[in-house]
Amino acid sequence: MMNTPQQVKNPSSSLKSRFITRFLGALTKITAEDPISSSSPTRIFQRYRRIKVASNKSMAYSVRSRRIWSRAMLSRFRSRRSAFSGRRSSVKTTNCTTSPPPALIKVTINEKKTAKGGLDMQTDELRELVPGGEAMDVCNLLDETAHYIKCLTTQVQVMRKIVDFYHLSK
Amino acid sequence: MSSSLTSLYLVNPNPKAKRKKETRPFIFNLLHHQSKKITLIMQPCSREMQAMNSLLNPTQQIPLQDLQINGNSHHHQQIHVPSSSQFQYPTPTSTTHHDDSFLEQILSSTTSFPWSDETGPPNPEDNNNAGFNYDEMVLASKLRQHQINGGAAGNPFSAMKMMLMMQQQQQQQQMMLAGRPTVASSAAGGGITTNHQGGEGSMQALYNVFGDGSLHGTMQAKSFVGANSATEMTQSQGSRPTAGEAVTAPEKPKQRVRARRGQATDPHSIAERLRRVRIAERMKALQELVPNANKTDKASMLDEIIDYVKFLQLQVKVLSMSRLGGAAAVAPLVSEGGGDCIQTSANGGSHPRNSNGDQTPSANDRLTMTEHQVAKLMEEDMGSAMQYLQGKGLCLMPISLATAISTATSRSRNPMINHENPTNGSHLLIQSSGGDGPSSPSMSVLTVQSATMGNGGLEGGAASVSKP
Repeated sequence: MMNTPQQVKNPSSSLKSRFITRFLGALTKITAEDPISSSSPTRIFQRYRRIKVASNKSMAYSVRSRRIWSRAMLSRFRSRRSAFSGRRSSVKTTNCTTSPPPALIKVTINEKKTAKGGLDMQTDELRELVPGGEAMDVCNLLDETAHYIKCLTTQVQVMRKIVDFYHLSK
Repeated sequence: MSSSLTSLYLVNPNPKAKRKKETRPFIFNLLHHQSKKITLIMQPCSREMQAMNSLLNPTQQIPLQDLQINGNSHHHQQIHVPSSSQFQYPTPTSTTHHDDSFLEQILSSTTSFPWSDETGPPNPEDNNNAGFNYDEMVLASKLRQHQINGGAAGNPFSAMKMMLMMQQQQQQQQMMLAGRPTVASSAAGGGITTNHQGGEGSMQALYNVFGDGSLHGTMQAKSFVGANSATEMTQSQGSRPTAGEAVTAPEKPKQRVRARRGQATDPHSIAERLRRVRIAERMKALQELVPNANKTDKASMLDEIIDYVKFLQLQVKVLSMSRLGGAAAVAPLVSEGGGDCIQTSANGGSHPRNSNGDQTPSANDRLTMTEHQVAKLMEEDMGSAMQYLQGKGLCLMPISLATAISTATSRSRNPMINHENPTNGSHLLIQSSGGDGPSSPSMSVLTVQSATMGNGGLEGGAASVSKP
């Protein structure tokens, strides 16, 4: 665990290194709490979700609040956590993590498809993909998308390296 | 290793990472360097835009250092309405060499003074400098817009017009602030320097000046300019008639004929133009990030981007699945190099396989069944096909990627595999070869083979983790 291959550009402050440290911490916590050998399928599934959430969360935390999407993601996590605990929390929808009901989306998409070119439909789709995308105009949306893609690729790279490493060590 | 795959999606360093604090020195470079002034503006145009927008907003007084995208995004419309009256876009930029020489002369003669004064005082107050830099921003933005909007061969005439605009603004500023009808370029420098201390009031005044009316403003300026013929106009404007005809065909589809001199351009079209330009920039940046980005069409580019984001998100999902270590069944499976590599480890519904041998044939059958099922579903609706696959813990993947992964993982798998053939059901590859899906040709992600590879690997690793 200590010899995880870390390829960081700057030793201390790059996004990659921050993400790596956070994510590995979360991963160790999860594997400690949830021993693998004794997992039932449902536990496996839960564990998968936890890891996925941990990965996304680590990335969002590494980005802090510098980006709209990371802020949206973090507020989503917080609201979800409070919802789990049973309280009716007032979900902050300033960053609009909840999209309008699907029926409404479909209607607007069809309308726009017939009205204008297909660009509106695609921008809407992009809005759904990028967290916090509903509240952004197209220009910012593209910007956020670029940063989001960058972070996602970092995430995937790191996770892949971890997988490879563990595979090798076996 | 699979790192060869990751090299596909390496992230390019973002050239526009930092937006703050670079506008002002940039503008100075622009105006100090005598050569290729216009081309210098091309690059950080977005920053200028933001700077301009932030400055044009009188109520907000955003300091230059605080150019955040978010803050400025909704200021655009209101910003441009009053000030756009001043903007005129006579002609395209001058990119030919003799144009540069004209530009150089004019710029050197007219602008060396004010800008050089600016470098001296160390920015006592953001507002002061904001007021001053407003000019710069406007000029720079104009230059840039000329360059962007214009496409035809630049002519000195256009360059002259641009210079004219700059001088007009300078003079107007001086008129408002200094209260004296400064005419000569040297006076311009003095006038501006003395008004450094104007602060917010000057900013407001400037704003009003530019907002009040382009017509009479420019008319006055023109008269001033006429008087200025001593230094600048002789070279540039003297002989040329001020027949600011719209010259080039509009580049952007929604653009109307360029405004003639002395005529206000529609603020909406300007805002629209600005918006388009920014969007084009962002698209270009995205194109660098997304692989396979040779599409010229905006719509297809957006499609690619959307698919890529989906792909990445799915990859994260699968990779987190692969770290589960699965059931204990996975390890013996993999260690024996079992033919069945499709393990629905994530889904609680599927049953883990505990023994290999008798299950292998049925696994293969199950695989082909799954394949058929998915193929059938794909004909109807991609969404449901994907959902079906996800429910089984499987994914789609283009062939090239799949072969790459399989070679990578089979190579790394060799120490563990004894003998098994990779040909049978061990790859579940259902490729949707181009153009099937409603929106996108390439569906993607990892086969579960690699996921189960990770499973086996991680189990060993995880064991080492849990035992200190």
